[in-house]
Amino acid sequence: MPFTRINPTMVEARITSGQRVFSQRGAMLAYRGRVSFTPSITGGQGGLGSMIGRRLAGEAAPLMTSEGEGTVLFGHGGHHVHTVDLTGDTLYVEADRLLAFDGSLRQGTMFMGSQGGVMGVLRGQATGQGLFTTTLAGHGSVAFLAHGGVVELPVVPGRTVHVDPQAYAAHRGDLRSRLSTAIGWRELVGRGSGEAFQLELSGQGTVYVQASEEKL
Amino acid sequence: MSGFRLHGSRVLAVDLAGDAVKAKNGAMIAYEGEMSFKKLTGGGEGLRGMVTRRITGEAMAVMEVRGTGTCYFADRATEINLVRLTGEKLWVEASNLLATDAALRTATAFTGLRGAAQGNGLFTTTVEGTGQAAILSEGPAVVLRVTPATPLVVDPGAYVAHTGRLNQQFQSGASWRTLMGEGSGESVQLRFEGDGLVYVQPSERWGHPRRSQGEIGGQV
Repeated sequence: MPFTRINPTMVEARITSGQRVFSQRGAMLAYRGRVSFTPSITGGQGGLGSMIGRRLAGEAAPLMTSEGEGTVLFGHGGHHVHTVDLTGDTLYVEADRLLAFDGSLRQGTMFMGSQGGVMGVLRGQATGQGLFTTTLAGHGSVAFLAHGGVVELPVVPGRTVHVDPQAYAAHRGDLRSRLSTAIGWRELVGRGSGEAFQLELSGQGTVYVQASEEKL
Repeated sequence: MSGFRLHGSRVLAVDLAGDAVKAKNGAMIAYEGEMSFKKLTGGGEGLRGMVTRRITGEAMAVMEVRGTGTCYFADRATEINLVRLTGEKLWVEASNLLATDAALRTATAFTGLRGAAQGNGLFTTTVEGTGQAAILSEGPAVVLRVTPATPLVVDPGAYVAHTGRLNQQFQSGASWRTLMGEGSGESVQLRFEGDGLVYVQPSERWGHPRRSQGEIGGQV
């Protein structure tokens, strides 16, 4: 059940009985039909174990579930919304960027350190993203927020993409990310170009970069 | 000469093949290929430029990006407008300049009272030569043509940039009503005469970082 973008900042989700849509709590703007909204105590899918995992990882954004029959409009803070249809692959996105996603997707938490070891941990610190990120896998749609909209940059083997950590929004596919530094004497004397830290992404997939260096 | 492309309206993509581009410091959001970033002190205008920029308050933190591949730039999700220059001069505020071809020369120019009214200072930046420049505006900018027969009057806060042979004049519509605090909010205007193009943004610089420095034009 794909989301339909009504305008750059709003998406419409069609809900049929037996289906659930998870969304950021309070992100509903309007709805038609018989739809009920319940806060998701566990913050998403899985049982108590997943909830504790997310709490510990700091990836526990308050979520709610929408159930019933009808259409729901979602939006948040006037930020641009980007929708992604997953077909068996995995999307990596920060929990606070997630606007809404299909109940059919498997939600998980990933330790950044498992990608790139110490540099992975450093990367989370340097970018302010923390040590964990949320993963969504399976078949279904995801809507996430970005300041100013996103550009999709394809990554193929042999063609790495470097991204400003503040402008990084999400990525999908089989990508390895690494924090690369370009610190020279200029940075040390306070004359840096402002591009000392970069995320280096290689592998096969797509990276979503937002048109701004502001966090949400 | 490097190729400037727009990706949507808020992301600028520049294709480089060993050449360089000058951009606002820290405005890179992503790149493919090999790139190196170097801060240019004084906007890349040498020691004299550096001193001038310090004094005039048109300080511009500029970096030089050199390499092969594609580099993407964006700034606070503001709209980007491409301007192709063929020998003429572009007048733009330093804060509204995102990127220029390395072949273009930048300098500072005295603008007179306009800047003071706008809260932008008395000086502005000029870009000259042949190549492309990317300028920022809050919301999509409109380009208005000025001919000798049709002069144009612009709100100083909505003015972004201009090209061509234009005379700018500061005009005041303040009357006793303004003094009584019943002004229409349009008492300070900028009049362009001559032949050229003016870029106007659909916003009056509210929330603009440089706005807070001078509120003269905003309230009267």
